[in-house]
Parts: sequence; structure tokens; C-alpha cells
Amino acid sequence: MNFGRWVAIYGPTYLTALGWTAVTAVGAACGALIWGCALLLIRLSAGRWGARGVDAYVQLFRNTPVLLPIYLIYFAFPMIGLPWPAVVCGGLALILQNGAYISEILRGSVNAIDRVQFDAARSIGLAPWSTFRKVVLPQVLVYSIPALGNQTVLLLKDTSLLSAISITELTMQAKLLTEQTGAAYEAFIVVALLYLLLVSGTEVLFRVTHRAVRWR
Amino acid sequence: MPPGSLALLAQGAAVSLLLAAVAIVGGTLLAVLLAALAFSRFAVVRAAYRVYVYVVRGTPLLVLALLVFYAMPALDLRTGPYIAGTLVLIVYTGALLAEVFRGGVLAIPRPQWESARSLGLPPVPLFRKIVAPLVTRYTLPPYVNVCVMTVKASSVLSIISVWELTLAAREIIERTFAVFTILGLAAAFYFVMCFGIDRLGRLFERHLALKGFAGERA
Amino acid sequence: MLTLRSRHVVTAAFVAILLAAGSPAGGQEKSRMDVVLDRGKLIVVTLTTVPPFAFNDDKGQLVGFDIDIARLVATALFKDPNKVEFVSVSAEGRWPAIESGRADMGVGGTTTYPDRAIRVAFTRPFIDSGISVLVSKKSGIKSVKDLDQDKYTIANLNNPQMADRAKRFFPKTKILTFDTPSAQFLAVKSGRANALQIDTPSAEYWAAQNKDEMEVLSGLLGASQNNGIFLKPGDFKWWLWLDTAVAEMRTGSWYPQYSEIYQKWFGKNPPPQKFYLQQ
Repeated sequence: MNFGRWVAIYGPTYLTALGWTAVTAVGAACGALIWGCALLLIRLSAGRWGARGVDAYVQLFRNTPVLLPIYLIYFAFPMIGLPWPAVVCGGLALILQNGAYISEILRGSVNAIDRVQFDAARSIGLAPWSTFRKVVLPQVLVYSIPALGNQTVLLLKDTSLLSAISITELTMQAKLLTEQTGAAYEAFIVVALLYLLLVSGTEVLFRVTHRAVRWR
Repeated sequence: MPPGSLALLAQGAAVSLLLAAVAIVGGTLLAVLLAALAFSRFAVVRAAYRVYVYVVRGTPLLVLALLVFYAMPALDLRTGPYIAGTLVLIVYTGALLAEVFRGGVLAIPRPQWESARSLGLPPVPLFRKIVAPLVTRYTLPPYVNVCVMTVKASSVLSIISVWELTLAAREIIERTFAVFTILGLAAAFYFVMCFGIDRLGRLFERHLALKGFAGERA
Repeated sequence: MLTLRSRHVVTAAFVAILLAAGSPAGGQEKSRMDVVLDRGKLIVVTLTTVPPFAFNDDKGQLVGFDIDIARLVATALFKDPNKVEFVSVSAEGRWPAIESGRADMGVGGTTTYPDRAIRVAFTRPFIDSGISVLVSKKSGIKSVKDLDQDKYTIANLNNPQMADRAKRFFPKTKILTFDTPSAQFLAVKSGRANALQIDTPSAEYWAAQNKDEMEVLSGLLGASQNNGIFLKPGDFKWWLWLDTAVAEMRTGSWYPQYSEIYQKWFGKNPPPQKFYLQQ
């Protein structure tokens, strides 16, 4: 089928799916960042056992594929009385997985902060939570922007797995269109190009942010 | 736990490991070739490398797998799910490893290049005795990382019906509804495989350092 | 850093090559019939989670009515029901497996539809079917009319006919799409969906296994349907032989073997060979 004609006919359908991909990606990315910061806080403040707990959590999610929590939350939670909507289930799985990676990224950046700053913060009477919020977190986030950008791209690509729980994002849409029309090539190449677009957009966004923030 | 499921999951894990192994071997060979292209004299070749890496790393693995699996018939290739899946994994791993190797080469400090060149070695021994050991040492940690990623990526192939651990787990669950147990077991299998590879990698790293590989004493 | 232009030119060239490769090569080939006979083994693509047509039993063996029919075909070709290799796929994977030549033929509760027949060829039906709706008793749905409400969700398989039926019979219902019937079933079992649509024998099988939780709504969605063997179109020799085999199974010399299989999976006799021969 003529490629141009295909895009003209199914363009709008793709846009809805693109919207879902973008929304889940942004939502999960924000959630993962917050969760990653929370894990970092736990690691820094809850002593040896806190750090060990976070380590165990991180190891669990680093060594298991993200499809498993996606299936688990979607199919098993309703059985124990938590029938959350598919987007929430998928988003939660992505947040749990990526939060682990983000907490590791942030941990690496924490070591880059000069120890002197902690002493200085204590000497002006800042409570630990305020130290974390006003001194540690901003610097850690700024240092981590490139690595966070990388992780966000990975998260964006992982949204394609949400097609397994029947969320109509880009990959699912391509599968539906392939079945409807038999035009597998056109369906998937358009989706691949759209993903490349999203990935490039995300990379540009992070690069611009990094440059903007570094100027301060 | 449903009877026989442990055995099925173990078989699935073996298949996942095998898929990952084939992908890593194939990917490494492909990556060496690609990395060579990355440093080619010709701008077009370097550009082709950049495009390949850009496309493979910018598209989700699932989309690549579906593209190969559903669109391949048009090329008259007899691809069942296994061949399509393995092909995609090799392409994917190859791109990731090529970037790792390229990074490794770029990480070699300038002085090393200059002293190597001053020895007057021709290219092949230069590569074998100087570049390769250095690159190996620099790239071992990220290489092990990619190996772990490949094992995890094999789970995505379950969606194009390649029978491996995730699909085995899915089949058992859809038959018996023991979702928590089976997924827990599957996670345990993946954990053992991935963690194991990670630890083996670290052991190997330490072993290399002790041997004084590439001029580094512990 | 690559300039904007050269990177995009190379990507565009890459995409163009992929698209150009999309046009299939023509030309005369050997009939699949000869390929199969030479090979000495039949390769069959099938769904593997549509009981009683094709499913894994407790020991993990692939069994079912369609599986036994495929073995009967192998017996006709090679005098040995074990000279078959089954390729398991998800719903959308059936067609590429045939189109790429990976499999010689396909079974697995696959219904003959005209639009589907553009992509794969079908033999005459080897069993009658139809689509029923399986509901969870908890949902309180008693008829298709009941189902047609915003608050209910139905689990579909990924094919356009299911989507069409949903639009036609229960447009207000929310739709979930899965790639295997067992995923549909898990969705209903776990409460993700209140109903699913699938071939009647499968619906009845699952309802029988889950008598307390599920039931089948009476009546078919649409008409009674035909499930046939599907194969690559354009190969007359192979299609003719397969169709002949199915004809003989249902109405001719292989009726006894067919009856045996039918009895085994459905517990009753198949429709009579000829209308004037009553069982």
C-alpha cells in the first residue's frame, strides 16, 4: 500500500496512541523520579538497615525483567482486591522498576557532593530533612541530568511493553492495525519512526535543561 | 505450586539463557565489526554506523521484534518466531556492545596510543597486544551489564511467542491462575541468572586485574 | 556531530530500502505439497490455548481436536501421526507463519472469514463453530443486551472480526484486546474483564471447568461459522489435496477416524456423513 496514503488514512489513529505513550511515559517518569528520591532519602537516613533494604530492592529490580511486575500488578492484584485500571498498573510497574535505577544514579551523584557542605549545613542549624531538601537534592539532581535523561529514554521504550496489558499505546496500535489491514510494514515502520521522534525529543529536552541549569 | 511447573520454568530459563548466549556471541562479533566501522576513514561509513545505533537504540526492542516477525514474510524469509527473535536480539545486543567497545577505545589515554605508535608496530599486532587488552579491561563492566540486559530483553520475545521463561510462566498462569507463585518463581530464576552473570563478571574482572592484564597490578 | 542533513538522508535511504523490499518476489515455486512429501514431516502452526481445539494438558503436552485432525492429515501423508511439528503462535502470528513459509498449514480454532481469506486460503470447514460470549457470574450479565453497557468490559482476541462484532453487538462495552485466548480467559478470571468472546466449544469448555464462576450466554454472536485448515494462497495443488482430505474426513472414507476424534473431544457423534444417513 502506498506509504503516503497509509499515513494519511491512519495518522489520527496513531496520534491517539502517541498521546497514550507520551502520557504514560511522562507520568511514570515523574513518579519514578519521586520514588527514586524517596529511595535515596531512605538510604541516606535510615542507617545500615535502610541502606541494605534499598540495596536489596535495587538488586531485585535490576535483575528481573519489567514484564514480570507488569503482569503481576495487572493480573494478580485484582485477585487480592485491587483492580486498578490498566494504566495505573503499567505505570506502577514502570515506576517501581525505574525508581530503582534512578536511586542508583542519584546515589552516584551524592558522592560528588563535597563533605564540607554537610558540616556547613549542620553548623547553620539545618535539620536533616531541610539539608536533604535544600542542599543535597538540588545538587544531586543537577549532576544527574544526563544520566536521568538516559533512563527516561529507557522508560519511554519500556512503555511499549504496556501493549501486553491491552493499553492502546503506539505498539498496541500497530498490532491492531496490522491485523485490520495486513499491512505490517507500514504499521510498524510508522510506529518505529514515531518512537525515534519521541526519543530524540526527550534527548533534546534533557540536553537543553542540562545546559540551562548549568548556567546558574 | 502446580505440579510440573518448576520443571517447565527451569526449561524456560534454560531457553532464555541459550537465547541470551547466542545473542551475546553474535552480538559481540557484530559489535567488533561495527566498532571497526565507527572508526573508519570514510565519513559515510561512520555515518552509517551512527544511524544504525540511533535506530536500534531509539526503537523499543518489542517494536523491532514485531517488525522483523510480522514484516519478514514479505522478504520471503522463513522466519519462525525463534529465528526472528534471535536475529533481533543479535542486532540489539550488537548495537549496545558496539557503543561499549567504541567507548572503550576512546577511553584509551592518548599517551598509550603515542607510545604504541612509537614502538613501530604494524596494525594487527598493535590491535592484539595493545588495543584489545586495554579495551577489554575498560569495557568489561559495561559488557557484563549488557549481558544482563540481554537476558532481561529475552523476556520481551515472549510477546512474539518465543517459548522462554516469561512465556512458560504466562502459560502456566493462564492454565492454573497461581499468578503470585509462578511469577515469583520466574523472577527468582531471572534473578539467579542475572545476578550470577554479574558476579561472574566481577570475579573475572578481579582475576584479570590480578594477572596484571594490560599493565595493571592489583 | 553529524549534520542534520546527512543523518536524515542515510535514515531515509535505510527506510526506503526496507520499503522496497516489501514487494514480494513472484515466480513459479514447487507446490508446498511436494515440499512436505520430500521433507517427510508436516509443520503446522496453531494457537495453543483454545481448548478443546488446541491446548496444553496438565503434562504440558499439546493436545486437542485440531491437533488430532492435524495428526490425521499427517497419517494420510506419511502413515504416521507423529510426523508433525507444531509451531505455537499468538493470534496475529498465525498469518506471518504461513506467509513466510515457516509452516505448511495452520489450525487452532481458526474461523473462515472472507476478509481473512485475502491473506490465507481456507479448506472447507472441518468443524462447525460459532462465537459465544462467556461471562463471569459475578457480573450479573444474563444476555448480550445486558452486556452492552458502559460499566462492563469484554476481553477480545486481536483480530478485526472480534472488533467488528463488538461494535455491532455491544458498542458501549469497554474493550480489552489480548493476543491469546488464554490471556482473555485470565482477564475474566482475574476480574479484569466481565466477559469474553470466543468459539463456542472453547467457551463451553471453560464454563464447564469453572462452573461456579462462569457461564456461557445462550445464542451465538452472529451466524454459525466454519473452522477450516488455512494455508498459503495460490498453491492449488496443496489446497486441493488438503480440501480433499477434509472432505473425506467429514463425508467420505475417513469418516470413522474423524468420528473417533470428534467423540473423544466432544463426547458425541459428529454430524452425519450424508444427510440421508442417520447415525
